[in-house]
Amino acid sequence: MLTYIIRRLLIIVPMAIGISFLIFLALDLSPGDAVTRMLNPMQSVDPDRIEELRRALGLDAPMIVRYWIWLSNVLQGNFGRTLTGGVPITRTLLERLPATLELSAVALLLSSIFGAILGTISALKRGTATDNALTVAGMIGVSIPEFFFGLVAIVIFALNLQWLPVGGRLLPSYTSYWDHIPNLLMPALVLSIMMTAGVMRYARSAMLDALSREFIKTARSKGLPEWRVNLLHGFRVALTPVIVLIGFRLPMLIGGSVIIEQVFQWPGIGQWFVMAVRAKDLPVVMTVALLTVVLVLVVSLVIDILTAIIDPRVRLGGE
Amino acid sequence: MKILTAAAVALLLQTGISTVAQAQALNNNPLSDIRVRQAIAHAIDRNLIVESVFGGYAVPAIGMLPNGPFKSPNLNAYEYDPDKARALLAEAGWKNGDSLEFVYYYDDQITADLMSVIQAQLGDVGINMTYNLIVGDVAKTLNSIPADPKGKSVVNWDMAYGARAAMVMQEYFNDYATGKASADGFPGSPELDALILESNTATDPEVAKATLMKIDEYINANMLTLPLYYQQLMSVESDRLNRNGGPYGNDQFNYDWDVHAWTVTPDANGKHILYTNGAPFDYFENPWVNLGLWAGNKFIWAHMLGAKPFLDGITSGDIAEAYEMSEDGKTLTFTLREGMKWHDGEPITVDDVTFSLAYALKTPNLHGIVASVLNGMEGAADYVSGAATSVSGISSEGNKITLKFTAPNANTLIAFTQWGPFPKKYFENVDPTLVQQSEFWQKPVGSGPFKVEEAKFGDFSSFVPFDDYYEGKPKIDQIIAWASADGDVNMVKNAAANRIDFAVTKVVSDIEAIKALPHMRMTPLDIPYTRMLWFQMYDQ
Repeated sequence: MLTYIIRRLLIIVPMAIGISFLIFLALDLSPGDAVTRMLNPMQSVDPDRIEELRRALGLDAPMIVRYWIWLSNVLQGNFGRTLTGGVPITRTLLERLPATLELSAVALLLSSIFGAILGTISALKRGTATDNALTVAGMIGVSIPEFFFGLVAIVIFALNLQWLPVGGRLLPSYTSYWDHIPNLLMPALVLSIMMTAGVMRYARSAMLDALSREFIKTARSKGLPEWRVNLLHGFRVALTPVIVLIGFRLPMLIGGSVIIEQVFQWPGIGQWFVMAVRAKDLPVVMTVALLTVVLVLVVSLVIDILTAIIDPRVRLGGE
Repeated sequence: MKILTAAAVALLLQTGISTVAQAQALNNNPLSDIRVRQAIAHAIDRNLIVESVFGGYAVPAIGMLPNGPFKSPNLNAYEYDPDKARALLAEAGWKNGDSLEFVYYYDDQITADLMSVIQAQLGDVGINMTYNLIVGDVAKTLNSIPADPKGKSVVNWDMAYGARAAMVMQEYFNDYATGKASADGFPGSPELDALILESNTATDPEVAKATLMKIDEYINANMLTLPLYYQQLMSVESDRLNRNGGPYGNDQFNYDWDVHAWTVTPDANGKHILYTNGAPFDYFENPWVNLGLWAGNKFIWAHMLGAKPFLDGITSGDIAEAYEMSEDGKTLTFTLREGMKWHDGEPITVDDVTFSLAYALKTPNLHGIVASVLNGMEGAADYVSGAATSVSGISSEGNKITLKFTAPNANTLIAFTQWGPFPKKYFENVDPTLVQQSEFWQKPVGSGPFKVEEAKFGDFSSFVPFDDYYEGKPKIDQIIAWASADGDVNMVKNAAANRIDFAVTKVVSDIEAIKALPHMRMTPLDIPYTRMLWFQMYDQ
């Protein structure tokens, strides 16, 4: 297994470079650049000054040269500065990362726990009123767009009941970390409820699939108690696809949830990323994309390892 | 001199309707035929658009200039008349079902709705319209023109929908000058060029006004551009806010709004906090770009002069205590106000102003009107090209700064109501090309009534009174501005939650929603903002 892990870790580097090149290329091929996005199309601007700005920002160099400069800087740990405002990217990343992390981590944790539990209950109570109710709730959860669910929550809990703030993360009057927990509550819960629905649907299907396997019948025929059959044999196998789903949501920890951040005015990475894409601020887009790519690749390795540990039928690297 | 001016104005006003293009296509482009353009004007029901698409929160347009003192009585209204449109098209040899491609750059639902309404109305007279949102390099897609005015069009659209938000009325027309890369799609004419030049150089406001009206008549008679509607700006305020007699004005720019005298009802802690929007996401914007667009910039920057609410004149000095313009309009002298300070407590000096004037010339993205005034200073071109190390037209003596211009410019004074200096010490080592990329914009040191206390980018910015503000310490204890773009999607939600005391909007759905909030009030502001359709008339 160790050889397999080392091999996979080594592959991550060229893969991340390859993917980052493709992203850079795609962004470069789209029309315009950061300078054109800075201009008001209805304002006459001296073209010489604009070309000067383009040169000063290094945007006049060929794409491959700009990519090489960016990559060599990144490999030395320098993510550069934003094109539009000259702000060090690492600084903004570190300022926004806590907002994204706390929102995504809470949502991931709650959705994983409740999704897996409710999905399992739904499968075990198949065909009953409980199963039907959870199925309907799950379908509603995966069908309703995040922004709509968020707005309904705002109307009810912030505007009507006035239990929670309508949005934002911090205020000048907040002095301790805990002051902003009421601000975190609603976006985190809305995001986790939406994500719970997805995990629940996956967990239910996986559990039903597992319960129909031969080894479950074997376990029952051995006279094992039903809870033991379900939890130790069924749930363990059913967990594999659920872990894959949860695992591939982990990159949210970096990328954030764009829609939820927009609806709740949450100053996370998602909000920053969308603005950077619109402004064609390549260093920002590339930094977030690269971190997400690396996280996806690492997570995929971790998932493979976890799957092998949980499911005895899985063997890594053809072992 | 006054007699001569009066005679000039009278002559301009008495001159009949401007020259009208011949009723024929001037090249292979059907839109070069005035009859096709007039047919489109008659085919589009602007009253219906205003009522149905904009819920009545706009004014159907006749002429480019907004209603008011600049409105010419000699404009053709081009009333909605589809039969007349069909007749004009038939006369021009238009084949039923021929296509026109529209482009637009607003990615909102209302614009999409507007496009579909125009598509239906043009379809009714036999014009098949397709439309696309411009993505990417909007300025290049819209404003590219052939090097030779008689050359082939270099864009692939026929008509474009856009807007002109003018600081001064000349902004409506300067783009129509021959050879000016712009979206109007008009190759130019000597008659119009002469009028445009006159409107920009007339130092007498009455002459400038009469000339502007003549230009509007020319464009209207030749249907060079089809104005659709005038957009109103709504000032949105909570019942906690009291302006204490401070005027309402064009909030897209800077004017004497007396914000230092505003008050708000104190909160439970007895603190007077005003909530607004428009705080930055990543950095404060250099105020020489969009002037007064962002609330934060209006709070933290003072300007050389003060403007009347709708920028129709000068009220008084601001950083300059006094000013004097020579009779020929070519020499402007400012007397700096004694005791003015930056937010860091340092005095605002003549050196700060002269440095900033020269520095501005080399910055990219300087607002068009300000740029046209500053570039008119003697020696500006040599300084920008590197042939000179200073601007010969800028001089100072004691607390007086004198600017000499190569030619009079009708907008010189108004430009200085929107422009103010930066503190030299923060910029003397910053390349002017990269002015916006300076660390300074993380927490700018300004000169206005409020200073930046804290900026949590993407979340909020906090402003507190500047104790040394020359008009007196502001009465509001703190301004908290939520981060938002222009057209704040969270404004209504925040207003409903008592988190907005002051904002402005042009968004119809927001206006409808705010109306339903009993604690909010709105004041419509007639700003110079015209939405229009441009015709691409170059050869195809």
